Amino acid sequence: MKFTYSWLTEHLKTNAHFEEIEKKLTSIGLEVEDIQDTGKAYKDFIVGQVLEEKKHPNADKLKLCKVDIGKEKVDVVCGAPNVEKGMKVVYAPVGSTIPVNQMKIKAAKIRGVESYGMMCSEYELGISNEHDGIIRLEEKETIGRSFSEIYGLNDIIIEIGITPNRQDCLGVKGIARDLASAGMGELLDRKISKEKGSFKSPIKIEIQDNKICSTFVGRYFRNVKNTESPEWLKNKLKSIGLRPISALVDITNFVMYDENRPLHVYDADKIDGKIIVRKANDGESFLALDEKDYQLKNGMCVIADEKKVLGLGGIMGGESTGCSTETKNVLLESALFDEINTAKTGRNLSILSDARYRFERGVDPNSTLKGIDLATKLILEICGGECSEVELAGNIKENKNEVSTSSSYISRRLGFEVSDKELISILSSLGIETSQTGDVIKCSIPSWRQDIHGEADISEEVIRIKGYENIPTSNIRPKSKINKNILNYAQKKLMKARHFIASIEYDELVTFAFTDSKNCEVFGDINKLKIVNPISEEMDILRPNLLPNLLQAIKKNKNRNFDSFSIFEIGSQYRSTFPEDQLNIACGIKSGIKAQKSWKNMQTVFDIYDVKQDLTSLIDYLMPGNKKISVSNDCPSWYHPGRSGSIKINNSVIAGYFGELHPRVANQFKIKNKTNIFELYLDELPITEKKTTNKPVLNLSDFQIVTRDFAFVIDKKVKSEEVVTSAFKVDKELIRNVEIFDLFEDDSLGKDKKSIAIKVTLQSNEKTLTENDISEISSKIIESVEKSTSGTVRS
Amino acid sequence: MKDFRELETEIKKASDKFTNIESINEFRIKFLGKKGIISLEMKELASLSGDERKHYAEKLNKIKDSVLEIIASKTEELNSEELEKKLKSETLDITLSTSKSYGTIHPISQVIEEVITIFGDLDFFVAEGPEVETDYNNFTALNTSEHHPARQMHDTFYVETETDGMPNVLRTHTSPVQIRSMLTQKPPIRLIAPGKTFRCDNDQTHSPMFHQVEGLVIDQESNMSHLKGCLEIFLKTFFETDKLNMRFRPSHFPFTEPSAEVDIGYTKKGNQLIIGEGEDWLEILGCGMVHPNVLENVNINSNEYQGYAFGMGIERLAMLKYGISDLRTFFDSDLRWNKHYGFSPLNIPSIIGDLS
Repeated sequence: MKFTYSWLTEHLKTNAHFEEIEKKLTSIGLEVEDIQDTGKAYKDFIVGQVLEEKKHPNADKLKLCKVDIGKEKVDVVCGAPNVEKGMKVVYAPVGSTIPVNQMKIKAAKIRGVESYGMMCSEYELGISNEHDGIIRLEEKETIGRSFSEIYGLNDIIIEIGITPNRQDCLGVKGIARDLASAGMGELLDRKISKEKGSFKSPIKIEIQDNKICSTFVGRYFRNVKNTESPEWLKNKLKSIGLRPISALVDITNFVMYDENRPLHVYDADKIDGKIIVRKANDGESFLALDEKDYQLKNGMCVIADEKKVLGLGGIMGGESTGCSTETKNVLLESALFDEINTAKTGRNLSILSDARYRFERGVDPNSTLKGIDLATKLILEICGGECSEVELAGNIKENKNEVSTSSSYISRRLGFEVSDKELISILSSLGIETSQTGDVIKCSIPSWRQDIHGEADISEEVIRIKGYENIPTSNIRPKSKINKNILNYAQKKLMKARHFIASIEYDELVTFAFTDSKNCEVFGDINKLKIVNPISEEMDILRPNLLPNLLQAIKKNKNRNFDSFSIFEIGSQYRSTFPEDQLNIACGIKSGIKAQKSWKNMQTVFDIYDVKQDLTSLIDYLMPGNKKISVSNDCPSWYHPGRSGSIKINNSVIAGYFGELHPRVANQFKIKNKTNIFELYLDELPITEKKTTNKPVLNLSDFQIVTRDFAFVIDKKVKSEEVVTSAFKVDKELIRNVEIFDLFEDDSLGKDKKSIAIKVTLQSNEKTLTENDISEISSKIIESVEKSTSGTVRS
Repeated sequence: MKDFRELETEIKKASDKFTNIESINEFRIKFLGKKGIISLEMKELASLSGDERKHYAEKLNKIKDSVLEIIASKTEELNSEELEKKLKSETLDITLSTSKSYGTIHPISQVIEEVITIFGDLDFFVAEGPEVETDYNNFTALNTSEHHPARQMHDTFYVETETDGMPNVLRTHTSPVQIRSMLTQKPPIRLIAPGKTFRCDNDQTHSPMFHQVEGLVIDQESNMSHLKGCLEIFLKTFFETDKLNMRFRPSHFPFTEPSAEVDIGYTKKGNQLIIGEGEDWLEILGCGMVHPNVLENVNINSNEYQGYAFGMGIERLAMLKYGISDLRTFFDSDLRWNKHYGFSPLNIPSIIGDLS
């Protein structure tokens, strides 16, 4: 909401400095967003008169002028086609700044001729887009007079943000009223004479549905002249960024911004019969003042005559009854439309208008007649003619909004003592009348405050006027603990996972929860994930998986010359767009160069064993203690079928996957390098909350440790893990560890054979193992491995 | 019986000639070996009678000890010379190095953990809710009816599923977590709810996805002054400053009454923002006393219970604290940015250690 300081002082008698008012506005909730001191911006520009005008010796299009600026006569080179001798102009002296481009005027030689200052166009002064020539001021203007006075620009333009509840401040008067309540002066009561009208309106009004429109006041004017508005009115509208159109339209706009009272004028000669306020029917259409055709729907509020729709109630008038310079007779409307119906209609048809903005927030029901009175006065003054008696349809709602409260309630909510006396005095400054019975204070809410419904609202009014800076500060540390845990088990798991993964060289990314459906068929059912109004085609679904966005990130960074990637994200992916279908996932990617070639090492690249190790050690970290982790080949389709595995914990749930990205998917994302990924379904990890703070009992043996190596030739298709487990199970007590230390594949071993070498570590808790003990267990190991792998030991 | 003087001279003579470990070994064999001079003398002692044997044995043992001592000290001497020589030849170029890289924690995660740490210390627990929400939880229960003008300021993303006949939405704020939590927990309640939020807006200063943290306190006495106290501790701790100019000014949110926006003072020194001092104001969060209608919507008696709520943008906190200038870079996945603004994984915010 924009207004000027001078406009404000038409409603507010104040001795306060502007700076005080500016601070107060923000402190009562009318946040000042911008201040423009046009007086300052235009202070240097004055009226000058062109005394001489001749051709520039060195340029065809330029002229040399001598300009009288009062205290002296200066030479100015000018390029405007309309400059002529005797003309009164706006002169910008050396040292002034041109508003439109912030150019500072300097004394300069233009094509060899000295020029002091400049003569300005409206465009250069930032007043309009007119730049065909310089401004021609009226003959009568005094040389040397400040230009800003003439254009009414000697003012401060204030822009404030109005929160949706403060409908009462969508007019300058409302702002003045609130400032007066906050002690910034006195609200001036503008006396407006009430015209009785000399005849009955020939246009009758009928409200068919008083739910959508409770009041409709009309007044007929005959023999008006819809001229251009007078300067004061045009300047007022221009100063707050509105374009003057014609007197009648300008008057309604003025009343709306002044009194927060939307009005409308109809060309009465174009109305057929009476005015009917009714609900629209499906299939009706109407051409609005914005020159767009709207298809109306059942239930929208329309103003119609007996033949056609004239306007959308509370939103926009129609082209058919719009006023032009030819208009002679008009009907002025001041009505009250239903908030919800207006909001619905406006949203449905996507029409934004000042009227809609006000009606959907709630307009003072008692303002209909006041609006008519003010507009009548102005129309008669500016456009002449005669007015009819007022025609009222529906009824003017009595204001019955009452709220009961008490100073103890207010004090309890605000955190400091507010006495009855102070409470009543603040409320009265806001125009809220009170009556007290015992502790209960009954408040009668004025009609302009549509936002006050309950005690809580009263508490806000009190602190708003008293000042938020007066709220004390209280300690909030509780006497006894309220919450046992700050983070629950699942939340801790996420945080631990994040730090662990970052500690093994991954960079954490946060990518959008949206992604591009085009790349996602493989990851899930994209039809279940659609966003109705996506921000762009590339973000049209909720992500079915974290991978698409991470793969995009790899692609992007590849273009930035990265050749080694360790990235991860912990976040949600979605099975559908139902709230409960959200999963917590940790997803990591290692791709490209693992270690650069250096003076010490050869270059190595990441492979699936890197991500497998990361995934299993992550699981180990999140689920300390005994568990069985098993790996199998069943991976989702975005994994390379032969180079991926799923991880099962304790033979129950699949907790995650690791492997190489399927070449087809990699291709889709235009990624050439092998991409090794892991995904951990954090919600699937079995809960292993500590039951005791004690660690498991530690059994240490001081007897000698013995190691023995074995190598077996087995079929390639046999999993190496089989060698390890079959060796292990021979003696769970003596065998402390089994490790594969060599893998060898060669035709010399036989077709499709491989050699696996294991190192077995033995230790007893009771004695030092003898050669006999060792060879006995060694042959058992060989027997067991040979049996379960159908392999043979290498000697 | 001889008096061993000759032996002692011989020992002394031999011990002067050591040049290396081998010569020490020869020396040892010569005197202490199986057939060494001292060993042979020892054997001869057996033929002597009691006292005499005792006397000579003592003498001989002394000589033996002195030989052992010579061997030990000479060995040590030679070893040490040997080592010195070896050390002189064993040099590595210490200007060469290998590198080890670490991963990074995203600034959003870092800030969320900092916020949790501070509020955790004030006895708030962390609540959660889904990112896809019902219209009811996101708006209606928060006192924002279907046609409330505030709804239009939210630029809501809609999805195709419905709950109770209304389309589900991507939550436009973390406030629906208030509703979910109050429906499952009785007062006293103290919670924060950090998480992702979504608005259909994309330009220099708006991202369609961003993060907020919500705070809610419901009990029998918490009021505006507690709200002020709470935010003051939080902001001072978060920005790691003792000075904090803080300004509350009236605002409007449908779910709080009175509502306030909070500004903090700042000054600019060169390119640096100094938070806390100064006369210029930065908007940092919105808050207020929970509207009685919201409490009634979750079956909490608003005559008995009251409290406050607040919400703030995580990215904004991160930008101000860590001097990040562009909102959109958070989600841009530019690894140069992540490595620059990211945090060490070992840097877990804590009350006893450092927050950042």
